[in-house]
Amino acid sequence: MNNYKEIHSGSKPFKRAYVALMLWFVGRAIEAAARVDGAVQAEFDGLPPEFTFSLGVMPQGPTMIVGKDAQGLVKYRGWNPEGQKIDLKMKVKNLEGAILMFTFQESTAVATARNRLIVDGEVPAACAIVRVLDIVEVYLLPKLIAKLAVKRYPDWSFGEKVWNRIRIYAGAVFG
Amino acid sequence: MPGPSLDKEETVFQPQRAYTFYSPTKVLSGNKALENLPVELDAMNAVKPLILTTPGLSAREMEKVMAAAFADSNLTIGVFAGVPPQPDLMLIRELYGLYRDNGYDALIALGGGPVMDTAKALNIAVSGKPEDLGSLADRNPLTRKLRPLAAILNLDLSGCEMTRYVSLGSLSLTSPALIPDLTVIDPRTVMAEERKTVASTALMSLTQAIEACLHPERNPLTDAYAYGSARFIMENILNVLRNPSDRKGRLALANAAFFAQTSFDNLAPGMVYELGMAMSRSCHTHPGLIMGLLLPHFLLLEMKKETATRKDLYLFIGGPEAFAGTMAEASFRKAVDRIVEILLELQSLVMDFPRSIRDVGIKREDLESLVEPQSAAGVRGEYDPQDIRNILEKAWETRF
Amino acid sequence: MDLPGYYEYYCGVKIIAGHDALERIPGVLQDLHARRPMIVTDKGVAAAGLVDIVRGAIKDQLSIGAVADDVPPDSDLRVVNRLAALYREQGCDALIAVGGGSVMDTAKGINIVVSEKADDLMKFSGAGVLKRPLKPLVAVPTTAGTGSEVTLVAVVKDHERHLKMAFVSYFLLPDASILDSRMTLSLPAAITAATGMDALTHAVEAYYGLSKNPLSDATALAAIRLISRNLVKVTRYPSDREARLAMANAAALAGMAFSNSMVGMVHTLGHATGSVCGVPHGVCMAILLPYGLEYNRHKRETIMGELFFPMGGSDVFAGTPKEQRTDRVIAYVRQMNQDLHDASGGRHARFFKEVLDREGKPAVTRERLPDIARTALGDGSIFYNPEELDYDDFLMVLEAAWEGVALDPGCIRK
Repeated sequence: MNNYKEIHSGSKPFKRAYVALMLWFVGRAIEAAARVDGAVQAEFDGLPPEFTFSLGVMPQGPTMIVGKDAQGLVKYRGWNPEGQKIDLKMKVKNLEGAILMFTFQESTAVATARNRLIVDGEVPAACAIVRVLDIVEVYLLPKLIAKLAVKRYPDWSFGEKVWNRIRIYAGAVFG
Repeated sequence: MPGPSLDKEETVFQPQRAYTFYSPTKVLSGNKALENLPVELDAMNAVKPLILTTPGLSAREMEKVMAAAFADSNLTIGVFAGVPPQPDLMLIRELYGLYRDNGYDALIALGGGPVMDTAKALNIAVSGKPEDLGSLADRNPLTRKLRPLAAILNLDLSGCEMTRYVSLGSLSLTSPALIPDLTVIDPRTVMAEERKTVASTALMSLTQAIEACLHPERNPLTDAYAYGSARFIMENILNVLRNPSDRKGRLALANAAFFAQTSFDNLAPGMVYELGMAMSRSCHTHPGLIMGLLLPHFLLLEMKKETATRKDLYLFIGGPEAFAGTMAEASFRKAVDRIVEILLELQSLVMDFPRSIRDVGIKREDLESLVEPQSAAGVRGEYDPQDIRNILEKAWETRF
Repeated sequence: MDLPGYYEYYCGVKIIAGHDALERIPGVLQDLHARRPMIVTDKGVAAAGLVDIVRGAIKDQLSIGAVADDVPPDSDLRVVNRLAALYREQGCDALIAVGGGSVMDTAKGINIVVSEKADDLMKFSGAGVLKRPLKPLVAVPTTAGTGSEVTLVAVVKDHERHLKMAFVSYFLLPDASILDSRMTLSLPAAITAATGMDALTHAVEAYYGLSKNPLSDATALAAIRLISRNLVKVTRYPSDREARLAMANAAALAGMAFSNSMVGMVHTLGHATGSVCGVPHGVCMAILLPYGLEYNRHKRETIMGELFFPMGGSDVFAGTPKEQRTDRVIAYVRQMNQDLHDASGGRHARFFKEVLDREGKPAVTRERLPDIARTALGDGSIFYNPEELDYDDFLMVLEAAWEGVALDPGCIRK
C-alpha cells in the first residue's frame, strides 16, 4: 500500500545532551548550595533521613539524583537511578518539556501549571524540592533570567549573593 | 447588595430546564502539545498509533512534525497519507487490515472532515469486527468503549470532528463512543489553511455557537462552551485573515471550533446549520460560507419575535465590556450588526468571498425544496416553513 | 478571552441536572451494564431522608445490593476497606455515592479497592498508578458544594498511621453526576453558606490561578454568576427549588473549573487550618477568599477585575471604572460573607476569631497560627498560586484572617 509508511522514533541527541548537562550541573549545584546556604540545608533537614529524589525526563532520561547521606549531608548521586532507593521522582513528560524548562522559557511554576511534570511521591517533599530548585536557580542565573525562572526574586544582600554564587559554581564544576 | 435580577443578562448560564451534558475528550492545546501524545497514549495503554491524513504537499510537512513529536519516545508510529475527499467502506476494510496486520493499537486523525470520519469508522471496525459497521447502520447499540482515538485539529473542519456523528458513504451513525479521546491543537498543525478555508471554518463555528446559545434546550454548559467559542472567533477572525502567520489567533480559532462543536454535539443542529449543509451539497461550497450569509437574516427574524428566546446574545458576540455598556433595547441588534461588519470585512480580506447565496450558485427555484421538511434537499429538524422561506428569500435578495 | 501558551482540560463526567434527575440513574447504570449498585452515604444524609428519595427514584428498575450509611465526616481507610468487603459480599457491580466530599472520597476509594482487587490501597496512591477504568460510579452530591462529583482526586486518611493518601487519576471521575434539587432542599443555612462559599472559592481561584484556561474560565464565570444570584437567596429561603438547582449547577461548574485550573493559597491555608484546627473546609474558604484576592492582586489585577462582571452584573460593571473593579470584587466577597452571616443567624463566620467548635469554644486560637503556617508549606496547591508565599507570608495572612482585617498592601512582598 503506497501512502503508508512506518516511522521509528528517532532521537534528538543535541537536545538530550543539553538537558543532561543542565541536570548534571544543577544536581551538583544543589549539593554545593546545601553547604553554603542555610535555607537549602533547612529544607533538606525537614525531609526524612536519607531522603533521595530524582529529576528526569520520560521515557528514558536523562536524570539527576540527589540525596542525603547517613550524616544528613546532601550529595549529588549521579545520573543512573538503577539500584538507588528514590523517595520522590519528578519526571518531565517529554524532552521538549525539559528543553522549555531548562532554557527558562517556562519556569518550574509554569511548567507545573502546564502539566509538563509528573510528581511521584509525597507532595510536601515535592514542595520542599521545588523551593530548593528556585533558590539554586537564583544563584546560578543572571537576575534577568532568574526572574523568569522563579515566581518572586528574593531580596538578598549583594555581597551574600555574589560570594555564595561563586562557591556554588565552583562546587558544581569542581566538586 | 445585589437586588432582584434586572440585569440584561438575566438568564445567561442559568439552568432553565433539565439537561444532560457530556464531553469525554481531553483537550491539549498550545506549544508542544503534540509531544504529549506518547504519554497520553500510554495512559490509555496504547504504544503504536496509526496516523491518518490526506495526501498532498502538507502531508510531508506533517510527517516531519509527527516524527519530531514522537522522537525520543522509543515508539514506532505509522502514517497513512491517503485519505481521499470521499472515503468509502472499502477504504475502511483496507485500513482494517493494515491496522491489524501491523499491530497498531490506537488511531490519530490528522485533519478534519473525511479524515475524522475515516478514523471514527475504522475505530469501530478495529475495536470489534468490520462487520459491525454494516450491522450498526440500522441501530445504535454502540455503548462499548472503542480503542484510543486522537484528533489533531487544523482549520479545515467539517463541523462534526469532535461530535458523536460519523458519516461515511452510506454509513451514518451517532454514538458518544465515537467522540475522540484526545483533542490536540498545536501551532504546527493550524498554519496551513488559506484565508477562505479559515473564514469558512470560523463562520461555521460561529453558527454552531450562536445556534447553541439560542437553542430551546440550552444549558449552563452549552452556554459556557458557546461563550468561549464566540469570544475567540470575534476576537481573532479578522486578525488571522489580515495576518495569516498569527499563530496565537489560529490556535484560538481551532479552540473555538472545538468549543462550538461540543455545544452543538450536546444539543441538536439548528436551522442555519442545516440549511447551510443542505445547500452546500448542491453547490459544492464550504457550508460555513453559506451559514455566514444566512446568519444575519436568521438573527433579525429572531429579534422580531415576540417571545425572543434570549436578549443577551451580544454578551457572547461583543464581550462583557461592550455588552455592559449597551442599552438593553439596542443589544440584540448590535450583535447582528457586529456579525454583518465581519462579513463585510471578509469580502475585502478573502478573495471571491460570496456576498449572497446567489454568488455560490443557488437558484431561486431551488429555495422552495429546502423548505420541505424531511425532503432529501431539505432540513431535518422541525422548523416553521414560513421562517425558512423568509430567511432564504432575504438571503437571496440581499448582497452584503 | 485569554488563551495560554499551553493548557489541558478534561471533564469526562456526564452531567445530568434537573428537578427529577435522580430518575435517570437506572438508565445511566444500564448503559454501563450494571444493575446491582451499592449506595454509599452517611448518617446525616440518611437522617435527612435523602437516601429514601434516591431509593424511591431507582428501586423499580434496579436491585440495590447494599446501603452503607456509616461513612464518617473524614474519609477513613478502615471504612473504605470494610465497605469494599461489603460490596463484594453483596455481589454489587456499581457504586452510587450520595453525600458530600467525604462520601465521594470514600466511594472513590472503595472503587479502587474493588476494581483493582487491592489489599493495600496505599499502593495506588499518587498520580498515574491506575491504568484502566474502574467500576461504574454515579455521584449524587448533597451539598453545593465541594465539586468532588467532577474531580479526579480522592483523599483517604489512614488514622492509624496518621497519613493522608491522595489519589489522582482520570479513572476516579464518576461516570455521571446527578444534580437534583431535592438533594439540597433541607440543607441547613450554615452549611448552605459554607459549601456555597467553597464553590465560589473554587471558581475564583481557578480564574486567577496559573493554570487558567478558556474552559476553566468559562465554567468559572458561569459558576460565579449563579452563586452571586442564588447563594444568599437560598440561605434565606432554603426551599427555593430553582435556587437550589442553580447552586448545584454552580458547584459542579466550579468543580470543573478548579479540577482543571487548580487552586491556590486560599486552599493551601484552608487545608492547613482544617488539618490543624478541625475547621470545616467551606468555612475556611469563605474567610480566606478575600485574602487570596488581596495578596495576589499585584500579579492579577486586570483578571480579577473581570470577575466583577458576573458578581455585580452588567449595569454595575458598566458603571464601575476599570481601576476600581478589583476593589469592588474584594468588597463584594466580604459583603457576601456579611450577608451570609446575617442570613444564617450569625452562624456563618466572617473571620477565624469567630469560628466556634462543636462545644461552642473558639476553634482557632492565635497561638495555633504558626502551626498552620508551617503546615501550609507542605501543600501542593501553592504551586498554582500567582505569587510566592513563605512562612512569614502565610503567618501574615493568617493573622489578618484571624482578626478579620484587610491585608496591608504595603506588607505584601513583591
